[in-house]
Formats: sequence, C-alpha cells, structure tokens
Amino acid sequence: MEHNIKTILVDLSGTLHIENEEIPGSVEALKRLRNSKLNVKFVTNTTKESQRLLFERLRNLGFDIESREIFTSLTAAVKLIKQNSYRPLLMVDDRSLEDFKGIETKNANAVVVGLAPEKFQYNTLNQAFRLLMDGAPLIAIHKTRYYRTGSGLSLGPGPFVTGLEYAADCKAEVVGKPEKAFFLSAVEEFQCHPNECIMIGDDVKDDIHGAQGCGMLGILVQTGKYRPNDEDKIDPKPFLTVRNFSEAVDKIISTSS
Amino acid sequence: RQGGRRTDNMMASWNNNRKIKGVLLDISGVLFESGAGVPIDGSVEAVKRLQSAGLPVRFCTNETTMTRNMLTEKLHRLGFSMKDEEIFPPIPAVCKVLQKRNLRPHLLVHPTAALDFEGIDTLNPNCVVLGDATAEFTYHNLNKAFQALMSMEKPILFSLGMGRYYKEEEELVLDVGPFAKALEFAADVKAEIVGKPSETFFSSVLEDMGVSPENAVMVGDDIVSDVGGAQACGMLGIQVRTGKFRPQDESHPKVKPDSFADNLLAAVDLILQASK
Repeated sequence: MEHNIKTILVDLSGTLHIENEEIPGSVEALKRLRNSKLNVKFVTNTTKESQRLLFERLRNLGFDIESREIFTSLTAAVKLIKQNSYRPLLMVDDRSLEDFKGIETKNANAVVVGLAPEKFQYNTLNQAFRLLMDGAPLIAIHKTRYYRTGSGLSLGPGPFVTGLEYAADCKAEVVGKPEKAFFLSAVEEFQCHPNECIMIGDDVKDDIHGAQGCGMLGILVQTGKYRPNDEDKIDPKPFLTVRNFSEAVDKIISTSS
Repeated sequence: RQGGRRTDNMMASWNNNRKIKGVLLDISGVLFESGAGVPIDGSVEAVKRLQSAGLPVRFCTNETTMTRNMLTEKLHRLGFSMKDEEIFPPIPAVCKVLQKRNLRPHLLVHPTAALDFEGIDTLNPNCVVLGDATAEFTYHNLNKAFQALMSMEKPILFSLGMGRYYKEEEELVLDVGPFAKALEFAADVKAEIVGKPSETFFSSVLEDMGVSPENAVMVGDDIVSDVGGAQACGMLGIQVRTGKFRPQDESHPKVKPDSFADNLLAAVDLILQASK
C-alpha cells in the first residue's frame, strides 16, 4: 500500500458483528487496529436502534469502542430535520425514537423512512404516500436493499423508499451511506484527505462503492451480506477484497508499519 | 397538433381523421368509481350507445382484487350489459403466459383474486406474480416474495399492471406499481408487465376485436397506463376527468391525450362522431 493512511472507517453490522454475535476475530482485530494509532470511526446505516442501544450492544460483545466514535445515518437525519424545522411522519423503528426526542411530529409535513418493518404495511405506507402527494419531502435515512438476518435475507428501507418515490413521483433525499456527504462528514474531525482514508465494509455498493466515490480506499469483507462475486459488481473494483475484518486489519497494519 | 390544452369541442380533428372501428374502455374510474355502489353518471347509457352503434367494445382493466366472474357480475348489477369474454383483466392473461413458458408462480395477490389462478401449479415456484394485494402488502409477505426471487437462479417477476395509485372511496391508495418497483430495486430485476400498458396486452385485445390500432380508441382515467399505453401502440387515447384524474394531468409532461372528456358519456359523443 503506497498510500499514506491516517483514518479507518469501519462498518458495523455484517463487518464486526451479526446481531448479537461477533464475527470471529473482530474484537481482537480492533485491539490491534487501536495499537496502530490510526484514527478509527464506526459508520453505520443501522437505524433499528438509538445511538445508545447500539453502543451498549457493541460493548456487550466485548468491542473496545466509545459512543462518540459511532456515526450513524440517524444522526445525519436528525441534523437535517432540525435545520429545516420539519415535523416528520417517522417510519423508523421504535427503538430509535429516542434519537428524535424534542422533534415535533404532530401535523406532519415530511416523511422520514428508516428500517421499520412493522411500519412497512399497506396502511402506514398509504399515509406516507398521501403526505408526499401533498408536497411533503421524503427523507431516506438510507436506501439499503436488504440485510442478512438470522432467518435469511430481509428487505431494507431502500425498496420502500423506491416504491414511494414511484408512487408520488418524487425523489428522496438520502442522508446515509452511500452518499458522499455522509463519508466526508464522518472523517471531518480528523482533517485528512479522502485518499488517506480506508472504509472497511460488507456491502459492496453502499460501503465500498460509496466510499471510493469520494476518493477513499475500500476494503470489502466477505462476511455479512457479501455474496460471491460482489467485488465484480462495481467499477472501480474494491481496493482490496479480504475474508473478514481481522484480515483487513492485518493488511492495513503490515503495510503502514 | 399544437401543445397545451386541447379544448374538448374540437370534435372534427381530435381523431386526426382516423375512422374509429373499435373501442377499449377502462373499468375502474370510467364505468364506476372504485368502492362506489353506483356507476358514474351516464356511463351505462354511454356503453349502450356504443353497442347500439354496432361498434365492438372491449373492457380493459388492471383490476386484480376480484375474479373475472365477480367483476362481470358487479358490472351487470350496476346495469351494464357485456359478455364475460369482452372483459380483459390481467390474471387470465398471465395464466396463459405461465402455461406457455412452463412457469410456476409464487403469488402475492389479493386473496379473492387468487381463485382465478386455480389449476396453476404453485409448488416450487420459479417466478413471482404481483397483483394489487391491498392489505396483504405486509412487510412479511413482501419479504417472502423477495426471498423467493433471490432463491431463483433466473429471477422472473410479473407485475399485473404498474399503476402508481387509484381512487378508493374518495381517497388515493397505492396501486401495485410501487410494490413492484420495491421488489425490482431489492432483487435487482426488471418486472414484466402483464396488463396495461403492455403492448402485448393491448394487442391481444385488438386481435380479439379484429381492429387495427389506428382504428381503435382507448378511454381511461390513468393518463400513463391507459392513455399513454394505448397511444404507444398506435391507438387514440381519451382521458376522462373521473376516477384518479387530477388537474395536473391536463399538462402532463409526457402524455398528450388525443382528447379530454369530462366523463365516458362525453367521450362517447366524440367517438360516435369519429365512427361515421
């Protein structure tokens, strides 16, 4: 690696853990990464839980991580809502509602879509659709197509955002991965150039293609939602494709020492 | 033809001198309002006038919340008289396609309409068929359809129409289109449309009537599926101001109907003029 790497962005779900199970070797690998003195930030589109719940889950799995190191697309959404004084219809998981505390939701004039299976039903979708037809903006926390869960593949919010865009003939404003703004915002505090940053993730489109799109280097891990030949689906290909987070850390440390 | 709004009484030129020999009518939003127990004012008379004039009439609908028999019975109860075979909904059409291509469907359709799939093998599905499932459009059901597509070596998705929305008891509700787009996005597949505005669908109706597209007119409330779809096949298209029509349809960026009409009765005036 001839690059001068200063910052590592790490995806969470599918890269470090799947639900309540560590991906083998990840806790150890994170310790090794910390010893390297590189900047580390955890970026996630996970919208099922508030920042606090997310942090607690990772700590319980043994990860050496601080709450302020977690940058979520939910945080980015709250920022946007406050800036515009929107009153949102929140189609988000109940467990993430605490991140929206203090935001007025009566007489909704905006629709916010996160990962909320229990809200992706005909009646609620119709409610959201009618608001959009009246001119309300559509904010998508992210457009993830699907996840790997304990019981197989599961639809993400992306398909429902796409459906609403088609129904109301509107375009969603997406605040999470793979938007450039999200990645650049995540590394802002480190004041380094994108090409001094590496993004490690399991989603070839949202993690790798997104990060490489703003000049960062992408390392694709073959865990989580990875499917064979995913690395051939983007152009340019991932900078590196490795078995898992532990191998990614090995590669980073061996070339930056 | 100039751009901008056509006035309704330019009867002489709306059909571009083409002689009308066959008529296609949408059902929901043209003959009756979805959810209403009565026909739209003048629609029963309008259909009678067409039939009395000796013009072949076919009813092209993307209705998939009931069987074809139920649809016929409903129309007869409302006072319309047409034969079963003159009604063209998507389910019989997709059944023909499934049989021709040896396909076994995973169905996500309205439970009432599912009866029209009787005789179709649904074990070990190798395609997904999506209809207007209304309350059955749950996360769980959509996920099952998605998982079915992802497990297929060659995922095939049929969407019975691609409408964005329709009017149901005074309110706009999501049609099958948004859910088809959701699955297209999730599974990275392109849906095959069976029903309006598919050219194959319109062609099968024209063939049944024995009329060429340039001598046919479609009357509908959905400017994209009905009017745009018909024009794309070479037919004339009249947009009515009933059903799901919205004022902004008068200046649609892509579709310019050959004429607008307040309702079917007014449209039939134009059609009879052009059939002489």
